[in-house]
Amino acid sequence: MKCRKYLSMIKAGIMEDMQFRGAIIMTFFGNLLYLLLAFFLWKAIFESSDSPVINGMTFSDTIIYLVFAAALFNFMEMWTVWNMGRDIQDGKIVVDLLMPCGYRRLRLFRGLGEVIVNFFTTLLPTAIIVYFISGKAIHLGLNILWFLISVFFSFFINYYIEFIVGTIIMYTESIWGIDIMKEVVVGVLSGAMIPLAFFPEGFKQIALALPFHAIIDSPMTLLLHPEYGLTDVVNILAMQVLWFVVMGILSDVFFKFSLRRITVNGG
Amino acid sequence: MEPIIQVNNVTKEFKVLNRSEGLKGSIKDLFSHDYKIVRAVDNVSMDIGQGEIVGYLGPNGAGKSTTIKMMTGVLKPTSGSIICNGVVPYDKRTLNAQNIGVVFGQRSQLWWALPAIESFNILKDIYLVEDKDYKDMLELYSTLVDMDSIMHKPVRQMSLGQRTLCDILASFLHNPPVVFLDEPTIGLDVAMKAKIRELVKMLNKEKNTTVILTTHDMGDVDALCERIVIIDKGKKIYDNDIEHLTGLFGAYRTLSVSLSKNKEILTKEELEQMETSVSNLLREQWPDVDMPVSIEDNEIQILVNEAFTGVVKVINAVQDKYKVYDMHITEISTESVIRKIYDGSKIVK
Ligand SMILES: Nc1ncnc2c1ncn2[C@@H]1O[C@H](COP(=O)(O)OP(=O)(O)O)[C@@H](O)[C@H]1O
Ligand SMILES: [Mg+2]
Repeated sequence: MKCRKYLSMIKAGIMEDMQFRGAIIMTFFGNLLYLLLAFFLWKAIFESSDSPVINGMTFSDTIIYLVFAAALFNFMEMWTVWNMGRDIQDGKIVVDLLMPCGYRRLRLFRGLGEVIVNFFTTLLPTAIIVYFISGKAIHLGLNILWFLISVFFSFFINYYIEFIVGTIIMYTESIWGIDIMKEVVVGVLSGAMIPLAFFPEGFKQIALALPFHAIIDSPMTLLLHPEYGLTDVVNILAMQVLWFVVMGILSDVFFKFSLRRITVNGG
Repeated sequence: MEPIIQVNNVTKEFKVLNRSEGLKGSIKDLFSHDYKIVRAVDNVSMDIGQGEIVGYLGPNGAGKSTTIKMMTGVLKPTSGSIICNGVVPYDKRTLNAQNIGVVFGQRSQLWWALPAIESFNILKDIYLVEDKDYKDMLELYSTLVDMDSIMHKPVRQMSLGQRTLCDILASFLHNPPVVFLDEPTIGLDVAMKAKIRELVKMLNKEKNTTVILTTHDMGDVDALCERIVIIDKGKKIYDNDIEHLTGLFGAYRTLSVSLSKNKEILTKEELEQMETSVSNLLREQWPDVDMPVSIEDNEIQILVNEAFTGVVKVINAVQDKYKVYDMHITEISTESVIRKIYDGSKIVK
């Protein structure tokens, strides 16, 4: 009955998150504000263009994408960098390291509760609202299944990247700068803030070669392109699995290496 | 009996950057390779048996926490070795964690936003404690402290004392063979200190848990520890029971004499004069023995090491010369003895 350990941590995470109802509401309104700004920005962009289709996307395609991408991005947010930074800076990590559970796993399961809350407070309602407001523009079919499988890998790739960034704090001792840099890099290169289709060609190729696009661009592509054949779907998912494995190993090795540096040298 | 913890010739060195001063200095430090080695623990060995409560003492920066961190496995010794419950803690940290409980001063292992009882339930699952054992443990706890008054309060709303109490209870929850308490009573009021001492003592007795306790508070030591280990500048300087401590560092007693009928009206000058003349008298009588004289509470206080001169002889000598209106003798406290050791004053000649 080892999974008892993890279920209990998830449950605690949910309870803990529920304590901060104010934060949930603030996130909701913050997100709304962001979407309003995005709406008017993109409206201006489309109005100034001669054609109703830019880079293969109509205005409504773009807005559906952005709303959904933002919801997906918020859904995965479990403040890993922030929490790790605090653990490292005030030395509380010592207590966590003395739990009978690896640190990466501990952080993951402690954060999962919040992700589950996020699912019900952001992702699911957004999906339902977008579906009806857009006049059922989202196809309901196999694409939903591919999307869900893809989100599973997105979540872990995002977590591993955050864990790597959190580990960097052991060296820099600064949380703020690192966290903001991560938000910007991941926000842009994942396609959460601007669809990859709008990137200049060279920049787009770079983005596609990096792991970040597997977080938002991959699941969104699978969701909004039901016309993709099985080969395309498998290609996208295979790329995600690759990044899932690579980032998984990298985050583990980097953390263990950095920890050894601290336990041996005293940081 | 095989000791439960074996520490063999353990040394721990930290590599720290030599920091320069000022803004210019801190920019220079970014590229500096000017390291110095700090030896926090220096060739320490000890064996600890099951069920012992060991007081691990030393002044600030002596290396106590560093030793505890090595014994728990979060730091690796530079040289030497440690075995705890048959496991090398710094090689198998997660495995070792199952067999120990730890309280690190002010760092709580409790879930901040949740009531303490929720943290206990989570810890029960994380340490895979059986339902029955868990229930028994909570029952035992409720005989020792008033659980209802603290368990349902969110941890972040607790006082430091309540939180420490909960943290100590949490560290014993999975009934580990060894519990490490690093300065558990720091910053607590007298009543809470007493409660925590009682709690640790009871849990040690009930469960035969080995407890390693670091503290600055001699009250903790006197109440709990039969054995004390003292380190200073990383080196172990004492390892035995409290009785031996006083024996080894001299059978000290303080003799206080009142040389005036009404000591309250004595002026500072008069007292200082008495102090000097008593001091001179003693030096005449025992030129080879150092007997510090001081003024305390308008009386003359003489610190006598009975290994060299009997207190009665000193009283006689004083009485020969002065009229003594009042006197009393007090045993020197463990605290003063340990302070003397820290201060490095050579009591033993
Ligand atoms: N991580 C570290 N890096 C560098 N020096 C350290 C580190 N931890 C402790 N020290 C140094 O080691 C010595 C012992 O510290 P510590 O074990 O915390 O003492 P105590 O707990 O007895 O007060 C101190 O001089 C301290 O500055
Ligand atoms: Mg300490």
